[in-house]
Amino acid sequence: MTDRVTFRGVSKSYDGHQVVAPLDLSIAAGEFVVLLGPSGSGKTTLLNMIGGFATPSAGRVLIDGEDVTDLPPARRPTATVFQDYALFPHMSLAANVAFGLRMKGMAKAERLARAAAMLDLVGLAGFGGRGVHQLSGGQRQRVALARAMAVEPKVLLLDEPLGALDLALRRQMQEELVRLQKRSGATFVHVTHDQEEAMSIADRIVVVNQGRIEDMGPPDRVYLKPATLFAATFMGESNIIAGRVARVNGQEFLVETALGPVALRGAAVPDDAIHLVLRPEQLQLTPPTDGIALGRARVEELSFQGTHCRCHCRMEGLDLILRAPVAAGLRAGVEVNLYAARGDVVVLDG
Amino acid sequence: MSARLGAWASWAYLGVALLFIFLPVLVLVQFSFQEGLAPVPPFDGPSLKWWAKVMANRKITDGLWNSLLVGLGSAAMATILGFLAAYALARRKHRLSGLYQFLLMAPITVSYLIIGMGLQITFNHLGLGKSLWAIGIGHVVINLPLTFAILYSQLGEHQANIERAAYDLGASDARVILEITVPMLWPALLAAFFIAATLSWDEFVIAFLMSRFDVTLPVVIWSMLRSGLSPELNAAGTLVFAISILAVALVELLLWRARRNAN
Repeated sequence: MTDRVTFRGVSKSYDGHQVVAPLDLSIAAGEFVVLLGPSGSGKTTLLNMIGGFATPSAGRVLIDGEDVTDLPPARRPTATVFQDYALFPHMSLAANVAFGLRMKGMAKAERLARAAAMLDLVGLAGFGGRGVHQLSGGQRQRVALARAMAVEPKVLLLDEPLGALDLALRRQMQEELVRLQKRSGATFVHVTHDQEEAMSIADRIVVVNQGRIEDMGPPDRVYLKPATLFAATFMGESNIIAGRVARVNGQEFLVETALGPVALRGAAVPDDAIHLVLRPEQLQLTPPTDGIALGRARVEELSFQGTHCRCHCRMEGLDLILRAPVAAGLRAGVEVNLYAARGDVVVLDG
Repeated sequence: MSARLGAWASWAYLGVALLFIFLPVLVLVQFSFQEGLAPVPPFDGPSLKWWAKVMANRKITDGLWNSLLVGLGSAAMATILGFLAAYALARRKHRLSGLYQFLLMAPITVSYLIIGMGLQITFNHLGLGKSLWAIGIGHVVINLPLTFAILYSQLGEHQANIERAAYDLGASDARVILEITVPMLWPALLAAFFIAATLSWDEFVIAFLMSRFDVTLPVVIWSMLRSGLSPELNAAGTLVFAISILAVALVELLLWRARRNAN
């Protein structure tokens, strides 16, 4: 099976400044892919190159194996949901949703029926006669979605579509996006800088930074076993412990860190500078089976977060962040022993 | 107590300022209803005698139609050209965009007298006679910077995104302009049109320099002024003023609606 979207050696520069380094990327049909990265990382440029709003400086973009690099947006099987919705202010909602169908020459009765069905799908049944100005932000978002999906694009491109909504509405729309994507079977490519949003909706997350793909994979894998330091710090909080491989012994190696020597399993090159990554919830107060002792820590600051307590712990030469169960009853000033499961430790180069 | 005094003083100031601006016009309007031969106090009206005379004066009614023709025609032309220039400069970024913008706006700093002289020399050179056409062309020249500036300011990034959405859904260039850009700009286009029409309606210097047999209303009034003041002139002036005010009110209404729709 050919991939729905393929980037082949694609790069992009503006005025000699490289925003996307040469990269390859494949997106399968029916996949919900999230491009995740900070602002200015090049994720929107990637999206625009699929939609036809930006042309690669080098490389080719393929959709279903067909080279679309030189095609304008109108002739690509894609549709975009814009960050500011970009609804047509002088048209009714039905006319907005039916616009793409009208451009394709669909008969009036048919396209209005389709528009009504699309509005129904996004929970705005009976709103067809209203104007754009009568809608709330969340409703505009739904109309933009209905308008883009009405033309049955092979690839739906979403450019930070939930950025302007408040938290509760954002959560609700995230669920609806997933529902719509599964129901329509279309390929969704969604751009966001919100890592929680990415984790909750994506089949696959592509972490983008400075025009490069830092990591790519299912949300749980990217979160639990990030491929790079950037991915580890951008996708949720991480404790990064710098170290040096002191000794390699078959399938085991010893790392010298500020917390003392740590024995780990796996392959390593002696004398390599590496980083150990541990999530705050992976630090434990009691020794797990096959655990490592990290040493004694003093709880400096502590904030109650409902499901857990987030603690700043001071150790010899290093500060760690700990997510402790509320039941542990920690207080600022107490001393605790910290442990981690050997299997939880992620080892990264550099 | 001092707050009351302050409020009173600011109202009084407003009243004096408005009186300063509108007194000449109010006097003009009042004495168009004068009974006697001279538009000077004491007021002995009201009478519609001079209004009847104005309406029966072929010179004035011809001038009125000529003014309307030139005003509406030149405003339509200035609006179309201004829109095309604004659209091109707002949507197609070019290395020399800044220079083009400067060149388009520059005529606004040149006095009408200078532009009129330039046009006269150019038309002489080209063998074009003085006519309503010449006045119309002159008015397009002076109004183009205004219509361009009004329309350019309305073609922002948000509008560009809306056009992008239309392209994305399969619309051609022509359909995007005609079905998205123009309807979206409708209030601004009408406002630009009426501002240009009002300025052309009132304009004297270029109309005077560019006309010979067919003249516009301001030129008719000027030629009548040479034979002295008369309430008939007051009535003609009131007519010019009333139509201007109507057009300005229309512009304000359109801009108000545009602002309300933008939110």
